[in-house]
Amino acid sequence: MNNDTILRISHISKKYPGVLALNDVSFDVKKGQIHALMGENGAGKSTLIKIISGAIQPSGGSVIINDTEYKSLTPALSSQLGIGVIYQEFNNVPSLSVVENVFLGKKIGGRFCPDQKLMNQKAQEIFDKLGVNIPLDIQTRRLSPAQQQIVEIARALSSDVKVLIMDEPSASLAMAEVERMLRIVKSLRDEGVSIIYISHRIDEVLDIADTLTILRDGKHIETRPMKGVDRKEIIRLMVGRELNETYPARTTPIGGPILELEGVSGNGVHDISFELKKGEILGLAGLIGAGRTELGKVIFGEAKKDSGTIRYKGKPVDFHSAGQALSSGIGYISENRKEEGVFLNFPVDWNITISALKKNSRYGFVNRKNLEVLADKMVSRFRVKTPSQLQLVRNLSGGNQQKIALAKVLALDTDIIIFDEPTRGIDVGVKQEIYHLMNELIENGVSIIMISSEMEELLGMSDRIVVLHEGRKMGEVMKKDFDQQKILTLASGIALEDKE
Amino acid sequence: MDSKFSKIIKNNMPWIILIVISIIFSFFSPNFFKIQNIINILNQNAFVIVCAIGITFIMMSGQIDLSVGYQMSLIGVTIGLLNKNYNIGTIGMILIAVLMGVLLNILNMTLSIKLNIGLLMVTTATSMLYQGLSFTISGSKAVGGFPDSFKKIGQANFFGTRIPIAVIIMLFFAVIMELFLTKTYWGRHIYAMGGNEDASRLAGIEVIKTKYLIGVIAGVFVGISTVMLISRLGSVNSSSGPGTEFTVLIGILLGGVSVRGGEGRLSGVVAGILIMAILSNGMQLAGFGVYLQYVVKGIIMLAAIGIDVYQLNHQKIIDEKLN
Repeated sequence: MNNDTILRISHISKKYPGVLALNDVSFDVKKGQIHALMGENGAGKSTLIKIISGAIQPSGGSVIINDTEYKSLTPALSSQLGIGVIYQEFNNVPSLSVVENVFLGKKIGGRFCPDQKLMNQKAQEIFDKLGVNIPLDIQTRRLSPAQQQIVEIARALSSDVKVLIMDEPSASLAMAEVERMLRIVKSLRDEGVSIIYISHRIDEVLDIADTLTILRDGKHIETRPMKGVDRKEIIRLMVGRELNETYPARTTPIGGPILELEGVSGNGVHDISFELKKGEILGLAGLIGAGRTELGKVIFGEAKKDSGTIRYKGKPVDFHSAGQALSSGIGYISENRKEEGVFLNFPVDWNITISALKKNSRYGFVNRKNLEVLADKMVSRFRVKTPSQLQLVRNLSGGNQQKIALAKVLALDTDIIIFDEPTRGIDVGVKQEIYHLMNELIENGVSIIMISSEMEELLGMSDRIVVLHEGRKMGEVMKKDFDQQKILTLASGIALEDKE
Repeated sequence: MDSKFSKIIKNNMPWIILIVISIIFSFFSPNFFKIQNIINILNQNAFVIVCAIGITFIMMSGQIDLSVGYQMSLIGVTIGLLNKNYNIGTIGMILIAVLMGVLLNILNMTLSIKLNIGLLMVTTATSMLYQGLSFTISGSKAVGGFPDSFKKIGQANFFGTRIPIAVIIMLFFAVIMELFLTKTYWGRHIYAMGGNEDASRLAGIEVIKTKYLIGVIAGVFVGISTVMLISRLGSVNSSSGPGTEFTVLIGILLGGVSVRGGEGRLSGVVAGILIMAILSNGMQLAGFGVYLQYVVKGIIMLAAIGIDVYQLNHQKIIDEKLN
């Protein structure tokens, strides 16, 4: 083993009943490098990091850390050896203080009682090193997602971490926060920490990684330096085939306004005015906390509007519930697919038809035949990959779950869809399919408001982008003026100087 | 709104409510603030508070135990009968009470862990089990004839003072366990586990062991509480104990322990139980009927849960500019 190799994955396999999640995977992680680990959902990334962190045991192979071979690890041993993990879903205790979360599960102080002063001092040192300022004694639930993630990074650093594994660290962050997180990651690398960086976002990986490992279907495809790798190459390696034109073009003409907002306030947004035209995808950009989802929920009737007017097809509307909005033809697809988008423990047809039950019933009795026809129609229209209508949605992939969420809304005659983070956590290959579906919807006369934190997607799919900052509208950018810098500037609350 | 003063107010809310309620009742009844009445209230509720100390640990971990009252019934009858038939004496009775408390709670915990269901469901079932066992072995008859030294625990005063021994025991354990909960690693692990079990496990906290620790602590205090109760009564039957679980539950919630777990302090719990006690006592002195008392207590419990949820939903997210 080279002396600059800190972690070696050696012929690791993991068998689950009926599935080979990892198949003879081997690669080295070098000291002081950012090592990107990429692959589609189900490629085996999460399984692999769980093996390294000791959360699960491999069926074969070994992990070699600092020249010592381990056939299996436990969380405690892995952490002792200097491996820290920041999981995708934040793992803080919301009711405890920041400092207690930084030292969660560690004993700082005497044999029986922790030393609060020492803990505060050490935590402050870590935050100083990271260059961030987070109050130590407040409850962690009061922090923003970005700050909570920093608390987790601080926890990893509180022990002598040599390899830091980050699983989709940017998934719940907005653009500016991602930049700060990436800065922190780079500075950790410069201090000699190795980082295994798992991400779906190709731009981030192109930006920061030194080495790239690609997994596909549980197999190791390639490990190589980032030099000379481009986006196309990464996609080809991940998907196993060429994908062209990531953002398919549309030809549908844009019509007159279908939804107009005038001075709308409430649910944390203030004085928002814009219009959505028929046959248009309107992008809503902004940082986390800018009020994009909040605004979407006001339009959808999920949250109360305090003042202002919303006109839909020329008439003022005031929805008091999601049900009212849905039956009028406005649908909302949540960013929290698993919690708010689909019913995981129910079958496909049940999910698709749940909103359309009333429409397909007489005297309160549902018409089973109609529902069957509807569900079949939707599954083939959206090309949902499922063995049958009776499959539980829990067992489908993220992309297919998203299709179900979409089908559910479109089972009613929907004219406007508010699409919140349409491709979060969805594979590159399936992403494209979602984009194609969105275009198909536009062709069929639907208009879309797309909320997204992915700059690429906003620029690629929108006809127009409205930028929010702290609940207020900062500006509106037309397709011909699309520019990443311009939108980022607006999103961070700085008005543009030259307003055409 | 994050000043030191408002923080002190917030942290001691149960005590403030307690004082306010006491003052209100002193208008209704001139007897309320007499020393003897206050000592009576403390004495009558010492066993409830000791029991609540143990159950607080369970609630702190985000679980609810409904079997406490029936555990007390089963323990009380068992040690009463053992004393009557085998003359095990005061020390024997206390030891067996504590041992049984621990065993019953370990049984609850084990079922909850192995079956992977909430303690609420487990204890709904086991409370029936414990109650049935209690009535079976007691034959629905009262058991008395405790040794004098045993009766002193709940009936005598502390060395020539006017303070009952039970109150001293209660204060002693309240202080010790408050220190344990807030100052030691194990106490903090319990807070952490109640706040987020997954995060705690991944951070290397032994979640299962911590749960059993909670079971042991709860059991010890259920045992001691039973001893205090039946020694004050002077005899025991299968109906001594049941009902305590709800008083304890409401008192703990009033004391600021969150239904979701991970939050709250024992000092608040003591105040919470006393609020319930003073409500009963005050309403009695003021001539409220028993049924009206239930109405008032129900409303207060709803208010306690409502305030807890309201506070959670109205916390400001701190997101000042970093860097």
